Amino acid sequence: MATGCAWFLVLGSVFLCNLMKILLPTISSFLSKMVQKDAEQESEMRTEIQQMKKEQSSISMMDEFARYARLERKINKTTDKLKTHVQSRTAQQAKMKWVVNIVFYILQAILMVSLIWKYYSDPVTVVPSKWIAPVERLVAFPTGVAGGVGITCWLVVCNKVITLGLNAFS
Amino acid sequence: MESVESAEEKTGSMSAAQLRAERRRRKLLLTSEDRMNRIVGFAKNDPDNSGASRRPTEPHFHLDLDRTEPWSSSSPSSRASPFLSETPGARSHTATPERRGSPLPDFSELRRASLEDDVGGGLRQRAKGERAASDEVSGSPRRGLHQYLSRFDDAMKLRSQLANEKPAQEEGSDIEEFDPFRVFRLVGSVLLAVFVRVFVCKYLSIFAPFLTLELAYMGLSKYFPKVEKKTKTTVLTAALLLSGIPAEVINRSMDTYRRMGDVFSDLCVYFFTFIICHEILSLFGSETP
Repeated sequence: MATGCAWFLVLGSVFLCNLMKILLPTISSFLSKMVQKDAEQESEMRTEIQQMKKEQSSISMMDEFARYARLERKINKTTDKLKTHVQSRTAQQAKMKWVVNIVFYILQAILMVSLIWKYYSDPVTVVPSKWIAPVERLVAFPTGVAGGVGITCWLVVCNKVITLGLNAFS
Repeated sequence: MESVESAEEKTGSMSAAQLRAERRRRKLLLTSEDRMNRIVGFAKNDPDNSGASRRPTEPHFHLDLDRTEPWSSSSPSSRASPFLSETPGARSHTATPERRGSPLPDFSELRRASLEDDVGGGLRQRAKGERAASDEVSGSPRRGLHQYLSRFDDAMKLRSQLANEKPAQEEGSDIEEFDPFRVFRLVGSVLLAVFVRVFVCKYLSIFAPFLTLELAYMGLSKYFPKVEKKTKTTVLTAALLLSGIPAEVINRSMDTYRRMGDVFSDLCVYFFTFIICHEILSLFGSETP
């Protein structure tokens, strides 16, 4: 027969999965920042470019053309380097996001399958069958227990309610 | 006198140049229609028709210059612009050809004069006879062409709409909008579930009050401000539109689907609340001595 808190366990699992789904972007950006080694280099390059541009603005092109041109070349070179760096960082972030999503969906699938496996024949809770007439068979699927609430029905209901609740709060 | 002669020479040379330009343009338009006909899959003898009907356009130009309607497009067989709705009059007429006047009246007059010089009256008679035959053949390809072009325009618009809506959908694909009536429904479902668990469930099924509640919501919906929900252009709606299903049918179907979704949400909230209440009451019932 139904375990005491089976309904609560399923509810908690569904809540956790939905919460993680909302937090996925945050997790992926956090992980990509952790993995990225040369993040400081990018900020240094930006600072360097800003300083060079500031210096260039103080130089008169007519009077010190050679110096102006040298600075211009340096700025261009550093900007290209920064662009390459940013592109690789963006690609790495996208890759990390993809990996995190894949891992999450796999874990979610494993959790759902294990819950269904565990409560395949046991209902998560039992109520008098006349309360849920005439759809008692559908609600009890796949347990077949009269008056029981099956794992599939409870999963669908919990998922819908938690989605609504999290959307309302977000 | 000399000035008059030089003016006449100039007009003569202009008219020849204009005539050549006109012929070139006509030729380009004819070949474009052949290409479209091939795409649409019509008429292997379209080149023959277009070739044969090229000559009829010249008397058409002549006859049409008195009309004041704006020019739509020229074609060998009165092909209207793809962006204008096709009217029967535009196709069926024989005495009023497709070229609707000219932007420059002087040019049209000169052209008429040059065309009269070039084309004899016999050509006009032949054109009338050929027009009757070519109209029947070119009617259906033209319709298919118009249909194709209109569908192509629709596809392009839908594609741009999809591209615009894709970033918004990626950001908030699962977020549902909570309008006042929706919140009212959900709160009502929760309250009814609690009430049913405490007082009603011993006597009848829990779904009977729920159905009554949904019927009441249907009646109460008109008292709430209607929130215009923007129909999102998804791949499904775009595919349905392009397959020929009217937009109204699609909108009604989507509306029905949305209403069913609302009822399902209410049912889930109702059942969830009922079970939670039952468990809490069971817990308190088991704890109390």
